Amino acid sequence: MTERFVHQLEIEDPGAETPAETRERLREHFPRGSLRRMTQLGLLVGRVLEPMKLQGDEAVVYASAYGESRTLEEYLASFPTPSPTLFQTSIHPSAVQQALIARQRGLRQFYPLTGGRLLGSHALQTALQIQASRTVLCGGEERGSWLLGHGVASEVSFAFAFDLSSDPARAIARIRLEPGPDAGSALSLPELFYHLRDRLALRRVIAPGLNLALEWL
Amino acid sequence: MSLSPENPPVAIDAADCRTGLGDAAATWRGLLADRCALTLLPVLGPDGGDAVPLALLAGRTMAETAPPNWLAHLDSLAAAIPSEPWGMPGFPVYVTSSNFGVGSLYAFHRSQDVSHLPHATPAAAVEVLRRRFGWGENVTIFSHACVSAHLGLIAAARALAHGTAERALVFSFDFISPFVAGGFHALKILNGGMPAPYADRPVGSIGLGDGAAFAVLRRGRGEFGLAAHSLHNEMQHFTANDPAGAGFAACLTPVLAAAAGRRVWIKGHGTGTLDSGRLEAEAFGRLQPKSPLVSWKGSLGHTLEAVRGGQTPGTTGSSGPCFGATVAIPAFANGAYDGVVLASNAFGGAHAACLLTHD
Repeated sequence: MTERFVHQLEIEDPGAETPAETRERLREHFPRGSLRRMTQLGLLVGRVLEPMKLQGDEAVVYASAYGESRTLEEYLASFPTPSPTLFQTSIHPSAVQQALIARQRGLRQFYPLTGGRLLGSHALQTALQIQASRTVLCGGEERGSWLLGHGVASEVSFAFAFDLSSDPARAIARIRLEPGPDAGSALSLPELFYHLRDRLALRRVIAPGLNLALEWL
Repeated sequence: MSLSPENPPVAIDAADCRTGLGDAAATWRGLLADRCALTLLPVLGPDGGDAVPLALLAGRTMAETAPPNWLAHLDSLAAAIPSEPWGMPGFPVYVTSSNFGVGSLYAFHRSQDVSHLPHATPAAAVEVLRRRFGWGENVTIFSHACVSAHLGLIAAARALAHGTAERALVFSFDFISPFVAGGFHALKILNGGMPAPYADRPVGSIGLGDGAAFAVLRRGRGEFGLAAHSLHNEMQHFTANDPAGAGFAACLTPVLAAAAGRRVWIKGHGTGTLDSGRLEAEAFGRLQPKSPLVSWKGSLGHTLEAVRGGQTPGTTGSSGPCFGATVAIPAFANGAYDGVVLASNAFGGAHAACLLTHD
């Protein structure tokens, strides 16, 4: 059984906000020189990471199934003369890199994940197996446009970040992973996001052999 | 972040790879013979463009097919994986890649042929592999460009240390497509020149290659082990490193400390770009002046072959002068060494290194 406590949770739930609207809303959170080139997902993830006040010795786990969907669309459209800027910002895990490069904030351990219907499960499992004094788990998606019509981009934009430590004092949530039945269900990234956003408890098998208990304190 | 004392020793039970030179044994033999898998090919495949150095697996082209033409190569590699209930509890799989099936996404965009879409996202591409190879759902996916495979190895070692894994499989693959080749060409580091890792020359250049590999890990000691890992992410610039080389030193120092008492040689990243080549060679030369440094974009598979075979291939494609005195251009006998440091770099100033031991 592995147990960690959450002390800080940040949520971005922009609804149908366009990338331009997100950029305008969050402009004060980023250096002006970086803002123009940042993706919507980079802005959202950067905003939720800002209050985490990363010092560099934390481990950061990042999860996104589709990454920079909009940028990917624009990069594909730039062929046969591909854009170097769109190429580098379309690559997983660009969102976190955009945010931390803008703030010149180095980091020792960084674990970017991707996946499908078990991405939330595997992100939690990865984060809880790290033996760091503090681990930050963040994730997010940006809503696609034409890729969405073909089922290969996220339907929603969102971002979240929370920290994990073994200190129970003043914690807002407790997360416990323990062995469970071999056959089980899944926990996708949007599903994890909704439980965090609405502070919903969760106690069930989230992957084969893995049981999750998320409890709000 | 050394695995010691956080994690107990990890043994490598099996490993193999596929490169433009063949499987692990053929790749090692080819490198020893100074063969280069790179040939000058149009950067956008069937859509043309400048000729750039690319190394495709035998019989593969950049003309995207549905299903992708790289699946057969992964079938061949997967057939060499020791049989276990992979993906089931106790036997996790860690898939790592930079590109997954992004070539299929590019092909869909060009052709609007929806038959490319089932392989077009990372999750979809891995799901195809999972079903194809009969793995269960315990498949975690990491993607962090050229340091991705290191993350899979670290996660596998952690799962073994936690006791949630009896054995763990790390499976890595990347296949070139116009999407990726076009991007690096746009960044102007993939050009008409052949890469010459660590060579001090007027213009730098990289090559891109197809590659796939696996490693099976278990707790305990064996002929080959993974004794330490280290990561560092500079986050200073997307495509450049700290000009003083601080990121290289920060990543290498913990692994070299774990290698104390061993004689190690070093397989560096050595892409062929000038700045990172100089910084990497200088950092290794400063921190480990008695350890020869080579680059052949190696994978674990043919590194093990090199150790078993007693001969380390030299830095294919390079000739003097080089950025550091420790850069080994010709092949050398490695019988007196009992460790290898494997180092990789990626976008965002990402660094990863691990210590491979041979006892």
